[in-house]
Amino acid sequence: MSMEFDFSTFILEMLNFLVLVWILQRLFYKPLLATIAQRKLHIEDTLAKAQSVQQEAETQRELYENRQKLWEQEKQIALVALHQDLDTERRAQFDLLQKELEQERQRNQANLSRQQHEFEQHAQQLALKNAARFAHILVQHTASAELETKLVQFLVEQLKTLPDTLNASFQRLQNPPVVNISSAFPLDAIYRQQLADCFSTLIVLPLTFHYAEEAMLLAGLRIELGSWVLQANLQHELSGFAELAHDFE
Amino acid sequence: MEHEFPFNLDSIHINGSVMTTWAIMLMLALVAWLSTRRLSLLPTPLQTLMESIVTIMDESILAVAPENGRRILPLIATLWIFLTVANLVSLIPTLHSPTRDLSVTSALAILVFLSVHWFGIKTQGIKKHLHHYITPSPILLPFHIISEFTRTLALAIRLFGNMMSLETAAMLVLLVAGFLAPIPILMLHIIEALVQAYIFGTLALIYLASAIQTQQHQPPLE
Repeated sequence: MSMEFDFSTFILEMLNFLVLVWILQRLFYKPLLATIAQRKLHIEDTLAKAQSVQQEAETQRELYENRQKLWEQEKQIALVALHQDLDTERRAQFDLLQKELEQERQRNQANLSRQQHEFEQHAQQLALKNAARFAHILVQHTASAELETKLVQFLVEQLKTLPDTLNASFQRLQNPPVVNISSAFPLDAIYRQQLADCFSTLIVLPLTFHYAEEAMLLAGLRIELGSWVLQANLQHELSGFAELAHDFE
Repeated sequence: MEHEFPFNLDSIHINGSVMTTWAIMLMLALVAWLSTRRLSLLPTPLQTLMESIVTIMDESILAVAPENGRRILPLIATLWIFLTVANLVSLIPTLHSPTRDLSVTSALAILVFLSVHWFGIKTQGIKKHLHHYITPSPILLPFHIISEFTRTLALAIRLFGNMMSLETAAMLVLLVAGFLAPIPILMLHIIEALVQAYIFGTLALIYLASAIQTQQHQPPLE
């Protein structure tokens, strides 16, 4: 039976197939192809975005590498500058330290010199004191009338050869002066006369002489003529040591 | 089936082939609706399967007709799908394939014949479409006309003959050999059904592609 051609079946099958084409086109091909196209578009869009991101990443990487190179260069420059600054600062600090050390050295030197000078002064003073004490003891034990006689004779000789200025000052005296003569030992008349003669030669005015004894003088004379005092005794000479020692203090 | 469900609606005679075709249409429409009602960019397994089927058919058609493939896609794809299902229907007991009916295969062949001229005229215009019948020489015109009818007839007869003989052979083997012997025959049936569907659709694709692209790819005559 199927080998027989049926026109109704023929027409109906044509219509059926056309309807099926329409149905599948509406329900199957069109939505599926649209979805596939949409997915392709989405994939292409995603790929494009990924490529864009990759390109941007490459750009960022290159930028980063360039920046890193720049940073390296800047770092090297900064390091060189830092080393230079450090060298300069070290040199300046070293110079300053040297200067301070030199000042400290000079200060120490000055202190040392001062201490040495003070020590020397102290030693000198001590030596002078000792010397004065020794001389005082020595002179005290060796002082005698003979020594005093020699000192008087020496004084008389010296009074004869006074400088002119001193002679002129004696000549200018207005009032008749009193001559006080102190001695450690009793003064012989001979020497009293020699002294009176000497002063009479020096001073034209009438003179009055007073004699006294002072053991403190040890040996020799002290002559007071107004404001003029002539020390020719051992006590005065010894006191010079003491004054000298006092000057050092 | 025509023995079981023939009825007349005035002058229209509806037999089993038509009924089976309607059933197949209904099933295909239902599957199409169910598989495409919730399409998304992240496909479900069913959507993936459907997309794969459509993609394979689309790529096959575009490989033959790259410029106008999308225009003939619904026809060719529907031929492949319908013929595959229709050829396999006979595997279901008590059912017969519509393609073992000469009226059905003739209707499909005539549709292909008409489609060739429809798409040819629509794509190139009637003048260019008819011009290829006298190309390269007007002497070939009768041969072209004979070819048009014979290839249409061959389409119808090839499918009808293969499917009818296949069913007949399967029935004979079943009657003669008993219960287990038909299994290889059924496997052969499946392969034959797929091959015949593919051949019919591919031939229709080639006819349509030659009609809509013959003039386009010819080099200009000097």
